Amino acid sequence: MTVLRSSANPGSEEFRANQEANEALVEDLGAQLDRVAAGGGERARERHTARGKLLPRERVDSLLDPGAPFLELSALAAHGLYDDEAPGAGIITGIGRVSGRECVIVANDATVKGGTYYPVTVKKHLRAQEVALQNRLPCLYLVDSGGAFLPRQDEVFPDREHFGRIFFNQATMSAQGIAQIACVMGSCTAGGAYVPAMSDETVIVRDQGTIFLGGPPLVKAATGEDVTAEELGGAELHCRTSGVTDHLADNDVHALEIVRQIVGRLGPRTALPWPRRPVAPPAVDPGQLLGVVSADVRKPYDAREVIARIVDGSRLDEFKELYGATLVTGFAHIHGHPVGILANNGILFSESALKGAHFIELCDQRSIPLLFLQNITGFMVGRDYEAGGIAKHGAKLVTAVSTARVPKLTVIVGGSFGAGNYGMCGRAYSPRLLWMWPGARISVMGGEQAAMVMTEVGQPEAGARLREQYEHQGRPYYATARLWDDGVIDPRDTRDVLGLALSAAGNAPLADVRYGVFRM
Amino acid sequence: MFDTVLIANRGEIARRVVRTLARLGIRSVAVYAAGDRDAPHVREADVTVAIDSYLNIEAVIAACTSTGADALHPGYGFLSENPALARACVRAGVTFVGPPAEASELMGDKLRAKQVAREAGVPIVPGFSEEEARAADYPLLVKAAAGGGGRGMRVVERVEDLDAALAAARREALTGFGDDRVFIERFLPRARHLEVQVIADAHGHVVHLGERECSLQRRHQKMIEESPSPAVGDELRATLGAEAVALMRAGGYVNAGTVEFVADADNPSEHYFLECNARLQVEHPVTELVCGLDLVKLQLQVAAGETLPFGQDEVTFRGHAIEARVCAEDAARDFLPAAGRILAYQRPPGVRIDDGIETGSVVDAGYDSLLAKVIVHGDDRPQALARLERALSGLTILGVVTTTGFLRGLMADPGVRDGILDTGLIERRAVPPAPIPDDGIGVAAAMLTLADLRRRGGDDPFARVDGWRLGGIRAPSYWRMAVGTGEPVDVEVRPDYVAATTWLGDGRFAIVDRGEWSLARDGDVTWIGHGGYAWPVRHVSAAEARAGLSDGELRAPMPGQVLLVPAAVGDDVRTGDPVVVLESMKMELVMSAPIDGSVAAINVAVGDRVTVDQPLARVEPEPSR
Repeated sequence: MTVLRSSANPGSEEFRANQEANEALVEDLGAQLDRVAAGGGERARERHTARGKLLPRERVDSLLDPGAPFLELSALAAHGLYDDEAPGAGIITGIGRVSGRECVIVANDATVKGGTYYPVTVKKHLRAQEVALQNRLPCLYLVDSGGAFLPRQDEVFPDREHFGRIFFNQATMSAQGIAQIACVMGSCTAGGAYVPAMSDETVIVRDQGTIFLGGPPLVKAATGEDVTAEELGGAELHCRTSGVTDHLADNDVHALEIVRQIVGRLGPRTALPWPRRPVAPPAVDPGQLLGVVSADVRKPYDAREVIARIVDGSRLDEFKELYGATLVTGFAHIHGHPVGILANNGILFSESALKGAHFIELCDQRSIPLLFLQNITGFMVGRDYEAGGIAKHGAKLVTAVSTARVPKLTVIVGGSFGAGNYGMCGRAYSPRLLWMWPGARISVMGGEQAAMVMTEVGQPEAGARLREQYEHQGRPYYATARLWDDGVIDPRDTRDVLGLALSAAGNAPLADVRYGVFRM
Repeated sequence: MFDTVLIANRGEIARRVVRTLARLGIRSVAVYAAGDRDAPHVREADVTVAIDSYLNIEAVIAACTSTGADALHPGYGFLSENPALARACVRAGVTFVGPPAEASELMGDKLRAKQVAREAGVPIVPGFSEEEARAADYPLLVKAAAGGGGRGMRVVERVEDLDAALAAARREALTGFGDDRVFIERFLPRARHLEVQVIADAHGHVVHLGERECSLQRRHQKMIEESPSPAVGDELRATLGAEAVALMRAGGYVNAGTVEFVADADNPSEHYFLECNARLQVEHPVTELVCGLDLVKLQLQVAAGETLPFGQDEVTFRGHAIEARVCAEDAARDFLPAAGRILAYQRPPGVRIDDGIETGSVVDAGYDSLLAKVIVHGDDRPQALARLERALSGLTILGVVTTTGFLRGLMADPGVRDGILDTGLIERRAVPPAPIPDDGIGVAAAMLTLADLRRRGGDDPFARVDGWRLGGIRAPSYWRMAVGTGEPVDVEVRPDYVAATTWLGDGRFAIVDRGEWSLARDGDVTWIGHGGYAWPVRHVSAAEARAGLSDGELRAPMPGQVLLVPAAVGDDVRTGDPVVVLESMKMELVMSAPIDGSVAAINVAVGDRVTVDQPLARVEPEPSR
């Protein structure tokens, strides 16, 4: 195997400039994460804890195996939306190990608007369920939510991918044997009542959890009946009388312990579909990542500088190294898991697309998960290339990406523009997980290009506006706020994030391959 | 010399004897009772024989015959001082490595031994008849004539208590030894326990090997023994030695034996013969270390009829030796015997340890609680003390509560360090507390558990234990731990703690700034050890806490009729005690107390019809103690 070497010069002006710029981005990311971690603010947190409740992140920490990692998803969801009233969209989702099993955890943050569901909250909840479905991970819902955020009911309630889909997912996942466990630690009102009701097994906290379709005010309005929340849907009622819940807990800690016991009874995870080998740290210093990655998306750099810093032993066996060189393809391992890496090293030509399609089929045949490192301005344009059939060659790549059954993971490390996004397994191609680096950009084309196109067609003012719009909308926070990805990550976390993601992805068995490799 | 020697014992002494036999090229035979099949003493012997009990003389003799053993070493305890064994040996043509039956019978009887001592000119404790005792100075001691090891002994402070003490001592003596004779003697309130090791051959040579001081006792069980005694000079040594030799000679004693004296703590030249131990004693190694002799070898030599290879003049004493007895006992609970499985056992290097355990050994409370003897030697007492401290702090025994930590605390006592000892010292001192509070132990246990999880999790990315979160954040972990039988403590393990722990192998970890620790698990109990101390730590579940929090309410599980109400309001009940009995659907349903406490309310009477979930009674927990 080839051990990659770095040609980076940490003493160079360029390295230091990159380092400085990227560090500033990472620092800002850290500040955003800190802000979100504080949830709905000091007063809301105090009110919450004064009731004897654990804060949502403490709940997650206590639920996880001691010291276990938590791969949080879309921590910055709803960033800049709803006047920033809903940090993290009022919900914490992620993958973590509970009683030895990797699970998807969905925890409402009642300190954020009572844990009510904004449109992005719904999207984040559904995305967590999708992650659970694709990776066959048990779902643990720590419920503490007032239900839909009523002022935005039109964006939350009626559509296919709205609130109701949560319960559809619970039913269909349960039907597939993916455990659905709810722990009612606060309100579960109206639609929210169905989260525990639709779960396979449900825990509720005494004097704290309540479940009802209509709360006391609604009951009073509808029938005139005077009833307290506890009488209407408290833990005692649901454990003793209604049978809506199965386990009565005294407090949060007790409830989480019961959840851990429930997960402990689910049995072991399925074996990994691929062999794992002993882990070796990268031979090239991952700490230099911020210095080698261009702070300016338009400035190219060798993708191997990134690969060398995230794969085991910095070892990469390249495939077709000399052909279609603007796409680096090769075999490597991350945290012991085999991966087939596709990394852009410039624009996509027909050859690069064919090479990529061929490589994806190879990995799919051999049950090797795929990792896409996107830094792509798009496919080559021009008469010769169109005449050479670049559209159909690109289509082969897109087909291979779409149909490969192995887990796909995507990291947008630089630009993600146009059809390049498609060929490199953008969000629409359902990679198991997708992340962005803080310096990355995503849009249908670069703002500059869009402006030039508009100028070419005689609308320079519209072009200027587009440039500004693309610049704004192409930024990672804008993207992650809307769940176009599963999170913005510190580039130095990439290796660990991928290791955890590969481990989680290995929970889902792979179907048989029913085609031969098409040599292209 | 013998060809084959059977050891009628187990544990450390059996191994001790096997070692000498191996050195002398003599075949060793171990006997073992059911639970000891895999014990080290069995493995290390050349030949092994299963017996039903270490106390069965016939079985032991049969084992000698079947293995062709020409001698039997009894060790200490069990049958060692039973003249019937010595006689059975003679009958079977097996040499008993110990005194002749007559000598041990004579010396084992306290009244007769005392008579021999008196005749040999050895000072004896002034004794009193019952009548004399009524007029004597107090305190006095009432002892069983056939007793030993402190059983059947009573201190009487005032004449008014005499009759009761006599009656009790007789009762105890009768049940304990089948012999209700007791005697009364002067009691030294502050006494040292001094004893002289004697070795005698069958040719009339009797030599003493100096004294041992064994004043550090609790309930008359020795914990620390040393030689020489810090209170004995050359002159007194010669006196004690001469007295012991004279006594043994008068008693016709052959082989190794010990003459015990009780001495005034401040003026040990005032001393009295206490009793004679007709066996090799637990504490014999300290004498071996200062004399440079192998007492078991000497025992075999004289038993084989050889002449003692040296005379009294050739006995020299070098330096100072101390032995500490590590026992399976809980010092914090009045030395209650402990049992269990040894999960981890590590011995400090460079000192003599005579032990009968290894990792995996099962400690059975039915046997003597002695697990290991830590025996150190130094040029002088301070050096020996320093070595003992070091050795004890390097001893790891997990899985069973031991006295190791207590011994460390004891040896740090200023009085002990200065050699100002008496037999009541341990009982006067409060048990020194563990040097680390429970929450510190809880933190250490959590840290070690995490480090162990990390080690076992290997390189699985999800098995890391540092609370990994995105963006360089590391989350703490929360634990509720109970140390021993203590109240649970809440522990938060900060992520930087995790990095502070390094696996050293073999269950041992190093924690930055906190030294070396060891860890072993036994079901849901984690044992951690540090510096000779060991603590069982348990993760306390919320469900467990809940059991104590139960509201104590009893509700009808189904509709029915009250058949019986066995409890009444105000009754003290324990969990599981019946409170109300219902009859329903032809079944009798016993509604029992969900918690310990007292019955606070009974809402129903016999014959009442009850509906589902109807409150029947309530038990209130006892006020917390």
